[in-house]
Amino acid sequence: MSERILMVTPYPPLRDGLAQYAVQEVKRLRAAGNDVEVLSPEPSAAHYHIDLLSRRGPVALAKRVVGYDRVIIQYHPAVFFRPPVTPAQRARVAAGLLFAFRRGGNVELRVHEFDVEGVRGSTLDAVLTRAMWRAARRITVHTESQGDQLARAYEVPRDRIEVVEHGAHFEPRTTATRAEARAQLQLPDDAFVFLSIGFIQPHKGFDRAVRAFGDLGARGCRLEIVGSVRPDDHDYQVHLDDLRALVEATPGVTLHEGYVSDEQFDTWIVAVDALVLPYRLIWSSSVAERAVLFGRPVIATQVGGLAQQMPPGTRLVADDGELLLAMREAAGDETLSARELVPWPVGDRDRIQSEIRIRAAALRAASPEAAAISSVSAPVRRVPPLALPDPVSARPGVSTFKRAVRRITAWQLDPVVGQVNRLRHAVIDALEGDDGPPGRR
Amino acid sequence: MERVGRLAFVPPRYGADVIGGAETVMREMAHGLAERGWQVDVLTTCARDHFTWVNEYPPGVETVDGVTIRRFPAVISTPRAERAAISASIVAEARVSIELQQRWMNDDVRVPDLFHFLLDHSSEYRAIVVAPYLFWPTFACGQIAPDRTLLMPCLHDEPEAYLDIYQPLFSGARGIWFLSAPEQDLAQRIHPQLPAHEVIGSGLHVPDRYDPEAFRAKYGIEGRFVLFAGRREGGKNWEQLLDGFAAASMYGDLDLKLVTMGALEVHPPAIIADKVVDLGFLPDDQRDNAFAAADAYLQPSKYESFSRTIMEAWLAGTPVIANGASAVNRWHCERSGAGLLYDDDLELAQCLRFLAEAPDVAASLAAAGRQYVLDHYTWPAVLDQAEATILKWLPTGS
Repeated sequence: MSERILMVTPYPPLRDGLAQYAVQEVKRLRAAGNDVEVLSPEPSAAHYHIDLLSRRGPVALAKRVVGYDRVIIQYHPAVFFRPPVTPAQRARVAAGLLFAFRRGGNVELRVHEFDVEGVRGSTLDAVLTRAMWRAARRITVHTESQGDQLARAYEVPRDRIEVVEHGAHFEPRTTATRAEARAQLQLPDDAFVFLSIGFIQPHKGFDRAVRAFGDLGARGCRLEIVGSVRPDDHDYQVHLDDLRALVEATPGVTLHEGYVSDEQFDTWIVAVDALVLPYRLIWSSSVAERAVLFGRPVIATQVGGLAQQMPPGTRLVADDGELLLAMREAAGDETLSARELVPWPVGDRDRIQSEIRIRAAALRAASPEAAAISSVSAPVRRVPPLALPDPVSARPGVSTFKRAVRRITAWQLDPVVGQVNRLRHAVIDALEGDDGPPGRR
Repeated sequence: MERVGRLAFVPPRYGADVIGGAETVMREMAHGLAERGWQVDVLTTCARDHFTWVNEYPPGVETVDGVTIRRFPAVISTPRAERAAISASIVAEARVSIELQQRWMNDDVRVPDLFHFLLDHSSEYRAIVVAPYLFWPTFACGQIAPDRTLLMPCLHDEPEAYLDIYQPLFSGARGIWFLSAPEQDLAQRIHPQLPAHEVIGSGLHVPDRYDPEAFRAKYGIEGRFVLFAGRREGGKNWEQLLDGFAAASMYGDLDLKLVTMGALEVHPPAIIADKVVDLGFLPDDQRDNAFAAADAYLQPSKYESFSRTIMEAWLAGTPVIANGASAVNRWHCERSGAGLLYDDDLELAQCLRFLAEAPDVAASLAAAGRQYVLDHYTWPAVLDQAEATILKWLPTGS
């Protein structure tokens, strides 16, 4: 039977994992004959938009959700909470959402991440947060462990929480064969190619893949790193600078910086022999789902919900040593030392420590150039690029004022900031010399 | 030829009275392909003006000469102040984060109903043609079904062209139609990994006849004049042309008027107010006659992907004086040998002086221009190219 559904979600043309996930569910629901409308936190292709981070956002949402058979909310804390999250903010937002869920009646939460901070005890924010979660009629998560954790944290009946595969609504965006994809991306036909793809952020750990790749380049293998840095965050920029240097010092590794279309994203996946997801932190991974969609093997670190998300046969690794082994095995490398095949010792701390040192030494040996990256320019590189302070404040109304000031002064300040950062880069380049730092010469 | 399957054309605006190069090409292409036997839908907004985006046409479906037109309401739900602020940074070529680029894109006209229509029906189209690259409908709709999307970017060398957010649109499309070789070169420079692409050009209808005297009589224009046709706005360098024309007039007696036709208001400097004649929007036949009556056509725009008006001038036997800062202007003028280029006001003044002092020589330049248009830019040739690429890039059953 056709239903009238409201989907609350970030939405295209915003390029964001949540938005891409949501539009595929909207497409499926509409194709099934439902009347689906979309509400997004910012202007987009959605029918409505409400600034859900504003003080009035949750209440405005409560006014909008009435009259639908179902309200589906793609839930991520960043959609509703503006960091730093204070108890007062948590209480206000939870109260607003509780009101919205009650008015909406049949509310489903598609939970992509959740925050369990400050939900214990009898403080107002904790009580309201638990009540908010319990007011949802149905909650879906991507893994069983997330479901268990959510049920425990918010005292939600476990039978109200359902596990839905992350890739349940995913569709392929390319019909290219492996050969066609390689030709398009100018990859050699015969090389064994690893891929790490996605936004370049420290927690994605692409640097771990480069270190683990080590000297595989000399044996004809390649590692392609594809992605862009998303937010204007100093740590992310430093990470990108470090990654660039590491890549430059590691033969066989190429960094493709830039925004990637959905079609090209899939083309990369089709083109390669194995994906490497060396995440330090992750809840669940769209990249992993797309790899499964195209039948590409995945080597992934055992973090977040990845162990439950990935199908049997996925190579899950616990640390950099195992990552190194997994990549060599995938590439058919027969030169592994006996040491690398030894399982981790159990119980004896000194032996474990010793093993750690041995494996670390092996990693350094695998990529000596990376270890030698220095140095001369380091003091300058440690000076963060100039960035204007974020226009946020925990005090009511001050964020709005700061944003207004930011907009008014942008035409004067942005060029100055740009020039200062160009000077910083010029100094680094000058210190490192024309041929790059010692490690790169 | 196997003309199987529906084609969707997605211009931000559509209508015989809509002014805009990309919109005109999209309309001509849609109707031209429909005449050749294709099933063609035009999916567009109800707006006529690309500044206000006021919904002037009614939403819904109508059929015009065998083409199904589906109109969806344009939505502007914000004051667009943030867009203006971010635009200032973009134009100043400051680094703008992807977040801000996305906010810039979405803080403008949006067409959610069009987006969802395509989301529901994209698989029913063999090809979805989107243009021009700059606008939200192209940006949003061009990424719904990239495997069957043909992008006609109408790309200019402007700061916006370098924004990261456009990379998926350019790299993800099934194919790209360029209007000129310089436009293709620019796209390759900005997006090295382009998908399949072809310079298909744009076509013009060759008028059966011109009647310059009727034009002069109808609008009361006496004496010699230069012409500008199009949107009188900053993006077309209209204000700079007025300043340059004023400066040229001050250097000495310049016995030329500046006649202009098109959208938006003119606002000439007081010193040349009596030399500037604004005719507003003219019907097609009068427009053609205006081109024939002019001593030269002025193309001041730096941001051209094809420059239809240069072709219209040459077809009418009128020489062209164009801003050399546009690679497209330069390419056409140098390739045809039928146009003069200027890079500053002094050069513009000298072009005008040449025109005033050697009218016969100037007029003789234009002959090569007409032949250049007939050789390269008639609709049958352009539609042949368009069909060939559809068949090649999107074979049936793909």
